[in-house]
Amino acid sequence: MSNPWIAVGALGLVSVLVPLGMMAASALIRPTVPEQGKTAVYESGEVPTGNTRIRFNIQYYMVALLFVIFDIETVLIFPWTVIYRDAVSQVGLTKALVPMLVFIGVLVVGLVWAWRNGAVRWVQPTTSDRRQTET
Amino acid sequence: MLQTLQISGTAALAPTLVLGVTALLLLLIDSIDPEESSSALLSGVATLGSLVALAAAGAILVATGGEPQSLFQGQLVVDGMSLFFTFIFTSVTTLVTLASYDYLKEFRYKAEFYTLVMLAATGMTLMASSNSMATAFVSLELASLPSYALVAFLKNNRGSVEAGLKYFLIGALSSAVFVYGISLVYGVTGSLQFDAIASELGNTGEGLVGVLGVGILMIIGGFAFKTASVPFHWWAPEAYEGAPAPVSAFLSSASKAAGFVIAFRVFTVAFPQSTVGVDWVLAFQVLALVTMTLGNFAAATQENVKRMMAYSSIGHAGYVLIALGALTGSANQAFVLGAGMIHLVVYGFMNTGAFLFIALAEYWGVGRTFEDYNGLAKQAPVACVAMTVFLFSLAGLPIGGGFLSKFFLIAAAVEAATIGTYVLAFALVINSALSLFYYSRVVKAMWIEDPVGDFEVGGYPTGLYAAIIVAAVATFLLLPALGLFTNVAVDAAASMIQ
Repeated sequence: MSNPWIAVGALGLVSVLVPLGMMAASALIRPTVPEQGKTAVYESGEVPTGNTRIRFNIQYYMVALLFVIFDIETVLIFPWTVIYRDAVSQVGLTKALVPMLVFIGVLVVGLVWAWRNGAVRWVQPTTSDRRQTET
Repeated sequence: MLQTLQISGTAALAPTLVLGVTALLLLLIDSIDPEESSSALLSGVATLGSLVALAAAGAILVATGGEPQSLFQGQLVVDGMSLFFTFIFTSVTTLVTLASYDYLKEFRYKAEFYTLVMLAATGMTLMASSNSMATAFVSLELASLPSYALVAFLKNNRGSVEAGLKYFLIGALSSAVFVYGISLVYGVTGSLQFDAIASELGNTGEGLVGVLGVGILMIIGGFAFKTASVPFHWWAPEAYEGAPAPVSAFLSSASKAAGFVIAFRVFTVAFPQSTVGVDWVLAFQVLALVTMTLGNFAAATQENVKRMMAYSSIGHAGYVLIALGALTGSANQAFVLGAGMIHLVVYGFMNTGAFLFIALAEYWGVGRTFEDYNGLAKQAPVACVAMTVFLFSLAGLPIGGGFLSKFFLIAAAVEAATIGTYVLAFALVINSALSLFYYSRVVKAMWIEDPVGDFEVGGYPTGLYAAIIVAAVATFLLLPALGLFTNVAVDAAASMIQ
């Protein structure tokens, strides 16, 4: 009768009952003072303008994508630079340097392709488009 | 085999490297002048790249005799099995890139198309070589992500985009299931490498068998997505119908084979039936039975040829699953696995060919239903002969390699001599008979029916025709020449099972 899952189940039950009990208790005890300020989106007093459905310029998507690529590149290059000196003395220059050059080379090919295909060309919206996005 | 040479390190990965370099080369060519992409140049480079990869795989197989070469501390392994499947992937890729020369003429983003095909092929060859759960997952994603983009390649076509989105969502779900399964197996065994998992399995405690079983089931789910078998099969009709037909050919042949090779390796190397304590053979028997029956019955009710072919490819996934479902202790295990591999080779040619014929029909602007194919043989007899060979070979008539490979599957299942495998062999026969019905509907439409309206085919595109005829000749020649592959396949399977 000492199934450890009983304890796990009991823990789960308690972890549901405690917050529910606290919410129920405070709902019974606390005074209700309805006030307009409480229903505002930002209780700090900032008045929200417009609704939540704003249209972003799609070109930010490309920028974000390029950022992610370079971010990950940095993450992978950084530890390599830290151990580079030790690696050269242990396995030689070729084995330490060439794999990273290949990696960067692959990324450069991708970047050149994206650049040539206009990934970083910022298209100015025409006036009629701009009005549409801002309202 | 001449002699067993030691091919060192990365040279054994030559097919994968060639495919990857070709993809980069295509990007560079496109960077020179993105607006004016030359169909002949891009298609030529892609086809050449996959042919070189094909030759490299053959050369390595001859040089090493299928001896396993362990790379990167056992993360990858190049052996007979991986080279055999590399042969399938590269030949399908060659056919697809050759056929796309005409199909893509009017489209703008040709270089991207070929690059994505090459990258997916790279991922598939890497899947065939991966020897640890980590590399298996990464290479599965490398094969899948370009496929999602390829399915949605017709950016302005609602069907294509919808198909791409569905394929992506189901793919993401099944990848999540797969990686969760990997984590459970890792939790039980403490290692990711296949052989290490197998040796740890003996030491698992009593209480962990359940966790292991759930993990294995989830991993089966991941493979079911890649091979388009139940329960993750329903993306296939949508994706194949919406995608450009060469992409459907690529996905339904090469991508499916890639799912099977990794499934074969995981379940024979990492979870050998003798030590695992979880009866995955039974799971595969049920899946094979349900998949082949569902695929064939659904195909019989279709009005759209491409959709019919999609369901038929689900049915064929069910046939190949017999190779895993019949791996019982009583079976001749090398022969069972070898039969599945041989069916995938033949299927690679005949199914690619059939989808390329549909690509030809799309190129001509023929409609999508059976009636639209009426009287096509009067206009294009050569292509229709090829299509007839593909369809009858798919059904299992002795006109192409499909007859022998199905026969091997039946023989392997019967030889295992358990109730489950007898049922599978019986179901294969029944389903093949049913499939003959719907395949011959296309043949009847092409050869016997009269055309509905006046229709003139618009030219005879060289690339598409060449690819279709090569596939048809290969399908036909595989009937007498299958013996060549049988030995290689059975040897490769035997060396993996040990």
